[in-house]
Amino acid sequence: MAEERAERGSAGVEGAPVVLEMRGVTKRFGPVTANDDVSLVLHRGEILGLLGENGAGKSTLMKILYGLYSPDSGEIFVDGERVEIRDPKDAVERGIGMVHQHFTLIPRLTVAENIVLGAEPRKGITLDLEGAIKATEELSERYGLKVDPRARVADLSVGVQQRVEILKTLYREARILVLDEPTAVLTPQETEDLFSVLKELVADGLSIIFITHKLGELLGVGDRIIIIRDGHVVDTVDASKTNEGELARLMVGREVLLRVEKEESKASGETRLAAEELVVLSNTGAKAVSGVSLSVRAGEILGVAGVDGNGQTELAEALAGTRPVAGGRVYLDGEDVTSLGADARQERGLAYVPEDRASKGLVLDFHLYENNTLKTYDGPPYSRWGWIFPRIMRRRAAKTLRDYDVRPPDPDARAGSLSGGNQQKAVLARELSGDPGVIIASQPTRGVDVGAIEFIHRQLLEQRSEGKAILLISLELEEIRSLSDRIIVLYAGRVVGEVGPDATDEQLGLLMAGRE
Amino acid sequence: MSEERRQEPQERGFDLRRMLVNAGGALVFPLVAILLSFVIGAVIVMATGNNPITVYAALIGGAFGSASSIGRTLLYTTPFIFTGLAVAVAFRAGLFNIGGEGQLYIGAITAAWLGVSLGFLGPFAIPITLVACLITSFLWGSIPGILKVRFGAHEVITTIMLNYVGINLAYYLAQHLLRQRGPIPGTETIDYAVRIPIISTALGRVNYGIIIALLAAVAVLLLLWRTRRGFEIRAVGLSPGAANYAGMKLGVNTILALAIGGSLAGLGGGVEILGVYGNMDVPFVSNLGYNGIGVALLGRNHPVGVVLGALVFGGLFSGAQEMQFATDVPLQLANVLLAVILLLVTATKLVELIVGKRARDFVSGTHLERGGL
Amino acid sequence: MEDFLGGIGPILQSTIRQATPLIFAALGGLFSERSGVVNIGLEGLMLISAFAGVVGAYFSGNALVGLFTGLGAGLLFALIHALMCVTFEADQIISGTAINLLALGGTGFLMVVIFGSGGTSPRVDSFESVAIPLLSDIPIIGKAFFDQSLLVYLIYILVPVTWFVVYRTPFGLRLRATGEVPEAVDTAGVSVTRMRYYGVALSGILAGLGGVYLSMGVLSAFTEGMTGGRGFLALAALIFGRWNPIGALALPLLVGFAYATTFGVSLEAVPIELIEMLPYLLTIVALCAFGGRAIAPAAIGKPYRKE
Repeated sequence: MAEERAERGSAGVEGAPVVLEMRGVTKRFGPVTANDDVSLVLHRGEILGLLGENGAGKSTLMKILYGLYSPDSGEIFVDGERVEIRDPKDAVERGIGMVHQHFTLIPRLTVAENIVLGAEPRKGITLDLEGAIKATEELSERYGLKVDPRARVADLSVGVQQRVEILKTLYREARILVLDEPTAVLTPQETEDLFSVLKELVADGLSIIFITHKLGELLGVGDRIIIIRDGHVVDTVDASKTNEGELARLMVGREVLLRVEKEESKASGETRLAAEELVVLSNTGAKAVSGVSLSVRAGEILGVAGVDGNGQTELAEALAGTRPVAGGRVYLDGEDVTSLGADARQERGLAYVPEDRASKGLVLDFHLYENNTLKTYDGPPYSRWGWIFPRIMRRRAAKTLRDYDVRPPDPDARAGSLSGGNQQKAVLARELSGDPGVIIASQPTRGVDVGAIEFIHRQLLEQRSEGKAILLISLELEEIRSLSDRIIVLYAGRVVGEVGPDATDEQLGLLMAGRE
Repeated sequence: MSEERRQEPQERGFDLRRMLVNAGGALVFPLVAILLSFVIGAVIVMATGNNPITVYAALIGGAFGSASSIGRTLLYTTPFIFTGLAVAVAFRAGLFNIGGEGQLYIGAITAAWLGVSLGFLGPFAIPITLVACLITSFLWGSIPGILKVRFGAHEVITTIMLNYVGINLAYYLAQHLLRQRGPIPGTETIDYAVRIPIISTALGRVNYGIIIALLAAVAVLLLLWRTRRGFEIRAVGLSPGAANYAGMKLGVNTILALAIGGSLAGLGGGVEILGVYGNMDVPFVSNLGYNGIGVALLGRNHPVGVVLGALVFGGLFSGAQEMQFATDVPLQLANVLLAVILLLVTATKLVELIVGKRARDFVSGTHLERGGL
Repeated sequence: MEDFLGGIGPILQSTIRQATPLIFAALGGLFSERSGVVNIGLEGLMLISAFAGVVGAYFSGNALVGLFTGLGAGLLFALIHALMCVTFEADQIISGTAINLLALGGTGFLMVVIFGSGGTSPRVDSFESVAIPLLSDIPIIGKAFFDQSLLVYLIYILVPVTWFVVYRTPFGLRLRATGEVPEAVDTAGVSVTRMRYYGVALSGILAGLGGVYLSMGVLSAFTEGMTGGRGFLALAALIFGRWNPIGALALPLLVGFAYATTFGVSLEAVPIELIEMLPYLLTIVALCAFGGRAIAPAAIGKPYRKE
């Protein structure tokens, strides 16, 4: 990686003409200042990394560039000329293209149809489908982005879908390409492929802005890196002259312990959660989990790593009882619970912190006291003979919310009014306060601020010390490594390997890409 | 992070002040909708060559201007409470109950039948008949629920289709099996002993059915916020994903919500027969079910709101009678006004434009609509 | 045998006649729903157009003028729906229901104001059947297909044209995209708002054609409530036909056939109420047998809000 970059010579990029400059951009959303007097400069043929934590302001800045937001103040210059970008149309006209984190592709339509949408080639009044296909093929050839123009987007893998997104921008003759967290959904191999494509693009004279919160990647592919923290630019560094530690420090602003303090494992050997040859179907009827066996012992954390979409969600749901099992068995403390529903498993001591708290973990429009009893409302002391007693629910919730640092600890607050971190803590409060024996935590810190992340990690480790069995599913390798005693990797619905927390990135990466 | 309050928010329970503030905010929005629709109505009235002031004076006077007007208003309000509740309960579960028309007819024909055949029981037949109405319309209302759970058929279409089926079924029974002797199409008239008594001759035909309606509203209130079933219905309506994850059964709650809604509308039909009409003529009432949607929305799907909304609807229809008599504006203007109110009440963004963005959530009563007491 | 073959023709003719308003409305619903806006108000759109058409024909003495007033009314009401749903982000089902109530109340109101009383309007000039020479002489099916009102001939053209527009033009591509992933359309620089307004406006015009046909193609007067649920049947036809112009023909033809065959049945044998129920029961059965909204346009029913 580093050698390849050194070959190109970072000095050459600095000398190239400036294709884009953003000067003094400020954007506020109510009391929150997302961007505070941010400036950046992009040279032709450069890959500029935009690094920052979740919520630092990187996406906001790029959305301003792409015309999705308008800045409160600041100016944008393209090729030296001052421009007004009021909507994406203006941005596209100026040669700016953006590949969003969440693709805006239409699954039902074909690749070619998706690419030409909005700028369709025509034959009279009809849509020139043949022309669209030809145009796609040409671009695909030229930049090494292999796609089948006639394929339906719904049938494509995420990596290929991303290529379609890039082709969309190229079809509109983008010269400045912005990629928002492009590697979030890719395997390490697909990431490599993406980086080769980027180098092709850059060799052709395009300039790229690469947004990410993953430090390591930028060192591999970026020329310069701009670090943003809390809405303002902290520093701009040369990729060849920095390292992970420095980047982390700049990004977070303090010495970041990349590992949480973890006690020695007190695993007692008693298996509390087990799955045997589990087969689970996805919503579309395909096999999302094909024959997974695992076991979690008391006092240990088993981490499940893997790229998003390889069956983690379905596995968690099947273990928790919210999704039926198509084959295999689930055991809780030795008892076969495969045919039991979520509430029955919860009665037997299973807690489940789902990955989507907004639509699966909490009823956002319910008060916190109602959410707190979402699984326990149908028995004493909260309910008798079909009646429920909100007063008792409130009393209990008041205590639990305080114990788990939910802010504000107000039982009558609407769950939706809380921040992401507090919502997650509220879910934790509900699940853990019942003293469960087994905990399934699926992406417990997604979209959560740093302070809450630390709290949640500490809670999980505390449960581990108390002898609970914890299954941790996460897309963040650092989280998995710092918390797990053992790690299994899920690929295409199968366990492709088991490693310890000291496994290298390379080992994990290969496993995540399916190579054993 | 802000400083937490020192106060212990423990047994907040019945915080009257907070409730009043919430309720007040929730009222503003429907009032704005009503006022706006009156403005539009005034324009229409002027276009027909009439003076809006006289027209509205007659309208308001006809609604609340005298004892007999008030009685007539309450008379019209009664069925709207039932059909409004029928829609509101279903909405709480996230479902559209457009089937109030048919459900009401099923209840009505049940009452028309039993009111006659149980006539020998005298006044004791009244509660028995009404319970029967609840049961038949409960079963009828469960049909779209079952179709949705079993076949995935969307309840909007099925409830509407069932309206036509239900009404025709009721008419069939009225014309054939239960037909009275004589030339007028319809069922036999129920004996006066089995009729719900009127409240006072000064108030006209309004009967104790309105008390039954208010009791039904209280029952719905208790159901939704003080029972396990209500807790589940609300959870399923607000977040089917979270409810499912919590182990609640979506299917059972879907069917029950629609069935309960049906039974409320059916009860309304029974009350109309036993309290007002005494039999089912062919043709019978119309649009009580569809207007129930407007009542429910105006009332933000809350039983108290439904009662108030029903009053608005009842008042408008009552006033329209007077208006048609005193001016030459046809009483269908009331239908037009109510449709406009319905339109405005759901246009949340329009309210935002009028009262400002920050006030929007507060004023539109969304938190009241979804959070409850 | 002769009798049987002789019977097919009139039944087919009646089937097509009964199916036509449903097909018009279903095509209208298609444009609206493909753009992402549910249109429960097809019933009201048909009703108001049926009425406005008669009013126009009444005052001008000419059916063609009536056609334009009818379409104009349908368009106007559809634009109200679009305004509510797209610009004011109202709930689309409620808005549609309100449109229905507005049309019902409005026609009742205007009947009294314009014609002096409710019930049925005076007779007006209408689109009577016009037999196409030569084609209408084809044995058995000739009369059925080619001795119909002009508006029916319009349907023969409209169905393939709709298919073409939706699947073979840039407009159609953008329309479909708007109903699936409006974000994609927005970022491609096409206005989601504009596409949805177009979709809903077209539904007003097409449903309007259906309404005008009801009051002036089959009959020549307006009766209160004459749409009788056809707008809802059309919506069911759309769902049943998977939001496809060819598929949307199935249920209307089925219902039309049901109407056509039961007209001959004597009223002593089967009471009229049970006959009346038939199309609605059929629709329910069809919906259940062949799936719910499993593959509706993905973004349907939700207002589009830019982040």
